Amino acid sequence: MESAEDWLVESLRLYQDFHAFDLSGATRVLEWIGDKGVFVAGYESLKKNEILHLILPLRLSVKENQGLCPERDFKVCHGGFSDASVFELKHVPDTRLLVTTGLPGSYLHVWQVAEDSDVIQAVSTIAVPEKEGGLWPRVAIFSSMAPGVLHGVRLRSLKVVDLESQKTTYTSGVSDSEELSSLQVLAADTFAFSCASGRLGLVDIRQKWAPSETISPGAGAAGGRWCAEVGGRGPGPSIASLGSNGQLCLFDPRDLSHPVSSAQCSVSAPSPDPELLRVTWAPGLDNCLAISGFDGTVQVYDATSWDGAGRQVEPLFTHRGHIFLEDNQTDTAPLVTTHTWHPHKSRTLLSAASDASLHVWDWVDTRAAH
Amino acid sequence: CGRGSAPRSMPEIRVTPLGAGQDVGRSCILVSIAGKNVMLDCGMHMGFSDDRRFPDFSYITRNGRLTDFLDCVIISHFHLDHCGALPYFSEMVGYDGPIYMTHPTQAICPILLEDYRKIAVDKKGEANFFTSQMIKDCMKKVVAVHLHQTVQVDDELEIKAYYAGHVLGAAMFQIKVGSESVVYTGDYNMTPDRHLGAAWIDKCRPNLLITESTYATTIRDSKRCRERDFLKKVHEAVERGGKVLIPVFALGRAQELCILLETFWERMNLKAPIYFSTGLTEKANHYYKLFITWTNQKIRKTFVQRNMFEFKHIKAFDRAFADNPGPMVVFATPGMLHAGQSLQIFRKWAGNEKNMVIMPGYCVQGTVGHKILSGQRKLEMEGRQVLEVKMQVEYMSFSAHADAKGIMQLVGQAEPESVLLVHGEAKKMEFLKQKIEQEL
Repeated sequence: MESAEDWLVESLRLYQDFHAFDLSGATRVLEWIGDKGVFVAGYESLKKNEILHLILPLRLSVKENQGLCPERDFKVCHGGFSDASVFELKHVPDTRLLVTTGLPGSYLHVWQVAEDSDVIQAVSTIAVPEKEGGLWPRVAIFSSMAPGVLHGVRLRSLKVVDLESQKTTYTSGVSDSEELSSLQVLAADTFAFSCASGRLGLVDIRQKWAPSETISPGAGAAGGRWCAEVGGRGPGPSIASLGSNGQLCLFDPRDLSHPVSSAQCSVSAPSPDPELLRVTWAPGLDNCLAISGFDGTVQVYDATSWDGAGRQVEPLFTHRGHIFLEDNQTDTAPLVTTHTWHPHKSRTLLSAASDASLHVWDWVDTRAAH
Repeated sequence: CGRGSAPRSMPEIRVTPLGAGQDVGRSCILVSIAGKNVMLDCGMHMGFSDDRRFPDFSYITRNGRLTDFLDCVIISHFHLDHCGALPYFSEMVGYDGPIYMTHPTQAICPILLEDYRKIAVDKKGEANFFTSQMIKDCMKKVVAVHLHQTVQVDDELEIKAYYAGHVLGAAMFQIKVGSESVVYTGDYNMTPDRHLGAAWIDKCRPNLLITESTYATTIRDSKRCRERDFLKKVHEAVERGGKVLIPVFALGRAQELCILLETFWERMNLKAPIYFSTGLTEKANHYYKLFITWTNQKIRKTFVQRNMFEFKHIKAFDRAFADNPGPMVVFATPGMLHAGQSLQIFRKWAGNEKNMVIMPGYCVQGTVGHKILSGQRKLEMEGRQVLEVKMQVEYMSFSAHADAKGIMQLVGQAEPESVLLVHGEAKKMEFLKQKIEQEL
């Protein structure tokens, strides 16, 4: 077993840069605001949770003379308290508003980030029509002159609510009871949904419900729980669907009927908490993805040469920091709760784990020839 | 006078930060508690080179003499932004009462003050500055205290020092008059490092806890990652055949960085030589021996066995080595490159871009350290000679301060009735205020 010291020495070779922080509470949220700020939020059920607006360490923001900048700390710019646990947080672009969701799932909460103080204040709630014990609504934001909140627990309860008037401007209008796992707004009138079963769809809200979608029962013929993300740079497929058994399927949005390629990621066991599954596309690298939610690692894959055979693939890079730098205060190994890519620095990621750790890391691509 | 978010009901306790500017950079706080007046720290604002760097004592002196008004002065640690104005205060403005500080602070303060005086007067030609004699006269007024020792300042006023971590000799102070008490934290650190332990205070339940707000709104990068960054820089320079200069103050990070490099060199089986200048080791050894109880458990164990600077891979430096070919790492004093050996070595190595200088702390204006950290690449040296700085300049922050989490830990330990955050804007700390209130 490598000790923390050994891993740190090893890390000199593996990372260009590496920062590790301890939040006062673990987060499942890492939502960017601009390219210098992120939101994190707690998800405890029995006590107040903090929602924090953090400014990235100056060192990570300066473009030149980084060596002369000693600032390595996050700055807490704003903070607020939530009685409910926060599982998802979305910033409403071009505003100072945030929307959060979590358990109990009866309401979405709308917050305002104050301009002249450091407070994040609760401003209103949006009622969720379908209230179900252990389920919580997914959320995405249609940003426009009048921002709308897309949310739903199941396909049948999908709707868009105008943030200001709280009027419903769109409903799916279907009776399909499939449970949603993620929602993502793609353009002014389109969004993507993924269901826990692996079913994926792209929806145009100007039309009556007629999504282009995967053939049911979905890519997850092997069962388990799925999540998806649309993104991707480069000529390849741009929708990734990740299953709790480690299967990753890539789709072309023009034809969702069959995956373009698929692979079996190198995970030692199925995800112990599939709600934490996360797959993201690198905004600055072609055909590059990151996955987390299986253990204390984040894995980066290059999907360029994948085929449709579902073969086992090896990650380009595995971030193990959360395992090796764990403070040993709990018996259970930490689980990565979420991760995200830096919008501009192509190999920089942020990752958070169940032990309240937050890492910022810039990995070295060892394939790059010198 | 300054501002801070005032406590709601504290008729017997009043806190007044003294200073011309409200910004961070100088600590000097006046506390009135049940009729007693205590001055906490007497720092110099390092950003100004005129009278704005001194605290504004006219708030007190307009009503009479400092000695009559103040019952005592307490200095938390030897950093200049906490003690830099002390000789000015006691000898030029005039104060003859007691000045309390810990033993290490008493030993180290005058060294730093003299160093600073030399820079101000000799390098910058300043006129209205305290003299060497004034520093000596000022230190004669010092009463040194031990940790956890209750010191009776007079019949009613007592003070007690607690371990603060941060730097050698740093303390947090409890000030008590009857049943009223205040705790002033100075600078402290809640996580132990390689040579100092973590701050600790008992459940003393003061009416008021006074602490800096500067760090209350930060989440600190882990020590390990800072160390990693340091090692990476040193390693990179050495790998390309460069020489690394690390200017240090003998009693600051030098010890810790040496331990770190030694461990790394051993693990990586590296061969490049590491040196420290002998002046550094003699002084450091002397002080650490004197104040061994102030260091952490690990250091104490090492020291009992042998000389603290007895390393396998780190050897004493000789001037001649600076011209040796090939990579090497040198720890040399003084820390701001303002004179002496570190400046000599810097001049030799500055012209080669393979070389590197790592500045581990803040540098006072006027020093070469300050200039290169500001990005200056052409320096005018003695005799109008221009030195072109091609070597890589790195600024690493090793200072250990508590962050938002650390403050909450301390509040949890001391259990104060109220908390006062100094040097912050009240409006910008509403969230933090709510957070602390929840803890209290």
